[in-house]
Amino acid sequence: MDLLGIMLAICGAALAAGFAGAGSAIGVGIAGESGAGVMTEDPGKFGLVLLLQALPGTQGIYGLLIAFFAILKVGLLGGGGAVTVNVWQGLGVLFACLPIAIAGYFSGIAQGKTSASCIQMIAKRPEETGKAVILPAMVETYAVLALLMSIILLNGIQI
Amino acid sequence: MAVARINKLELYVHKSIVDGVLASLQRTGSCEIIGREEDEGSVNPSMEKMQELDGYLSEARFLLRFLEPYYVDDVSSIARALGDKPEATLRELASLAERTDISSLAEKMRKLERRLVEIRSELSQIESLQTMLSNISGFPYPLELLSRGTDTTKGFLGTIPLDQVENWKIAIETELGENAEIYVGGYGEKDKEAWVSLFYLRELEYLAFDISSKHNLSKVDVSLDLLDTVQRETSKLDSRTVKLLNEEKVLHSRARSAAQKYVSLTRSLSDYWSILRSRIEVLDSGEYTDQIVMLRAWVPSDSVQVIKNELSQYEELVEILLSEPTEMDEPPCILENPKWAMPYETLTKLYGSPKYGAIDPTPLLAPFFFIFFGMCLGDGGYGLIMLGFFAFFLKKFKKMPSGTRQFFTLFVLSSVAAIIVGALTGSWFGDMVDAFPFLNFLKVIKDVPIVLNPMNDPMTFLAISLAFGVVQILFGLLVAFYDCLRRKDYIGAIGDQGGWIILLVGLLLIGGTVSGKLPSSLSLLGKALSAAGAIILVATQGREKEGIVQKAISGVLSLYNITAYLGDVLSYSRLLALGLATSAIAMIINMLSTLAGGIPYVGWVIGIVLCLGGHLFSVAVNVLGAFVHSLRLQYVEFFSKFYTGGGKLFAPLNYSPSFINISETSKDS
Repeated sequence: MDLLGIMLAICGAALAAGFAGAGSAIGVGIAGESGAGVMTEDPGKFGLVLLLQALPGTQGIYGLLIAFFAILKVGLLGGGGAVTVNVWQGLGVLFACLPIAIAGYFSGIAQGKTSASCIQMIAKRPEETGKAVILPAMVETYAVLALLMSIILLNGIQI
Repeated sequence: MAVARINKLELYVHKSIVDGVLASLQRTGSCEIIGREEDEGSVNPSMEKMQELDGYLSEARFLLRFLEPYYVDDVSSIARALGDKPEATLRELASLAERTDISSLAEKMRKLERRLVEIRSELSQIESLQTMLSNISGFPYPLELLSRGTDTTKGFLGTIPLDQVENWKIAIETELGENAEIYVGGYGEKDKEAWVSLFYLRELEYLAFDISSKHNLSKVDVSLDLLDTVQRETSKLDSRTVKLLNEEKVLHSRARSAAQKYVSLTRSLSDYWSILRSRIEVLDSGEYTDQIVMLRAWVPSDSVQVIKNELSQYEELVEILLSEPTEMDEPPCILENPKWAMPYETLTKLYGSPKYGAIDPTPLLAPFFFIFFGMCLGDGGYGLIMLGFFAFFLKKFKKMPSGTRQFFTLFVLSSVAAIIVGALTGSWFGDMVDAFPFLNFLKVIKDVPIVLNPMNDPMTFLAISLAFGVVQILFGLLVAFYDCLRRKDYIGAIGDQGGWIILLVGLLLIGGTVSGKLPSSLSLLGKALSAAGAIILVATQGREKEGIVQKAISGVLSLYNITAYLGDVLSYSRLLALGLATSAIAMIINMLSTLAGGIPYVGWVIGIVLCLGGHLFSVAVNVLGAFVHSLRLQYVEFFSKFYTGGGKLFAPLNYSPSFINISETSKDS
């Protein structure tokens, strides 16, 4: 049964890294398409476009972070050696990973769309970059909150 | 609070000296000319001069567009943007402009460019001819047969699908017999089409075409210039190509030397003419009589004297009239802040500058942004990297434009905040000191300033984050309260802000006593304050509605806004989340490097690469995140309480060159 606990925790880590990463990938992709369009007109905007395209990339990092936390928790990484994880603890780790998996996936996509629109905005008004960076960050708030919850939940599980 | 006072200036200038006056005003760089309201009326008398300048500018633009790709700039474009530009005085520029005949220079370069384009197009033509000829390299006759034909015979060249070749041949032989001759060029295994040609008596042309088109043969035109055999024509084309390439090389080198000679000159001149143009453009907004030009301008109060001194040389030919802005006016705003808050003006400007006479939020947000950035990045090591990076640029480029300088200084300050927070939480590149055994000796030093480790005790750090949120939101409400009092809107002050402040403080006291953090004696006070706050809100929030019932309903409904305040405060939890994320990412990088370091033989290389690359990536991502999120807290949670922006920045008539720095300002120009 110990093995099942560990497996559940791994499942959680996989979901966190996988879904948040996928959300970021889609988001960065959407923003990139828009950016390429803008740069055909004005290749000089590469720096600004890259900045905005990078914004939806954070969800993937948050997901990876939680995945690492999860497998650290059950002793799969680092020098701590194997830890006994029962099924309930494993299930707990799995659940704790869900906030960033779900919010990371959807917010990554939503943020990508916002970034894409903001890239269009700086195509016309490069002087408004400050505002263009803030709008995607509004979306990211919810990924940050999910990250926070995942961290707190993981922290709360006693192993 | 820190928006400079502005006066309205009316200038009556005699026509004879208007250029000189404008030059003086531009030199001081401290007045913004006000546009005319109605568009009709007098026309700019300097229209001709303006068109002349526009002509020069467009020549200069052409020259720069053509020559800049050839120009080996010893100053990179980034360095130029950071203020590494040559110096010049207006007088030098004027004499430079006098001595340069930009039109003939542009004409020369235009010829050069045209020739280059011609060469390019001829080369591409030759290339396509060469490809065609290479396909029929075994063609036995002079090409004249194909291009022009003889008196009696004619021929054509074409491509035909491979599976049609045999059928076509048979068809031609049966229909035309002796009167036609077929040539089939060689083709490789992968080719789908063969190059063929057909000769026929002129009178049979129609028939030959007809049969060929039935077999999907598509004709290829042969240029009339091709007369000789394939080999000879190919070698002719080869030698032509060599000649053209040589000519192109010569032209390129000529363009390169022209670039070295003229680019920096053209840049200076383009700046000079832009300066003159912006000066003359001002006359668009003037009003005219036969003798007098009238200009209106905004001038900061403390620059009025400077302008008066500057214009005193014209004595009675200029009349200056000063007045205060009226209610109808919309003067621009100038931010005026103490030195410590100046870098944060960038953030205010990013949001939108305040209206004239409104509160400038810069000094109010500065301490919060400082702390928040520190908490979001929250790592001493990353702070040091940032500090090094931005301080290096500040030191290297002394003449940075003031906006960029402010921005860089902002990052220097922010990195200091990150170092402080990093020291207090014991985070230096995450847990690098603990992770790498050879750094363990630093542990003693590192542990001294540690107050709290958010990794071990996130809840306390969360509480601190939320507490900052409460403080900033209440502070924002207080500012709005003060602003209402200042504008003598007493009901607004007490109803909108006072009510909420009292209610929120009361609720906090209740929360404190219930959770046992505060002595229970404060419980009663808390309840009383909350009740008082709620009553004030219910009583005042419906004051614009009609009828007692409507008033009461809106009043009670306004209490629902408490959720917005709750949401605002919770939003500050990002301070913890981002801070933790930085330390955790750094920790993971350290761990991976240690693991990689364990691989035999090559492990240490991989470890070092992972460690350096990972931390650089992490710095970039986390600085961006920390900046954006601490900024959001100012804009969304803080500004929403008291600040709307909506003003426009003071945009004085001044020198704004893009390629050079105007150094000391000579008297005339």
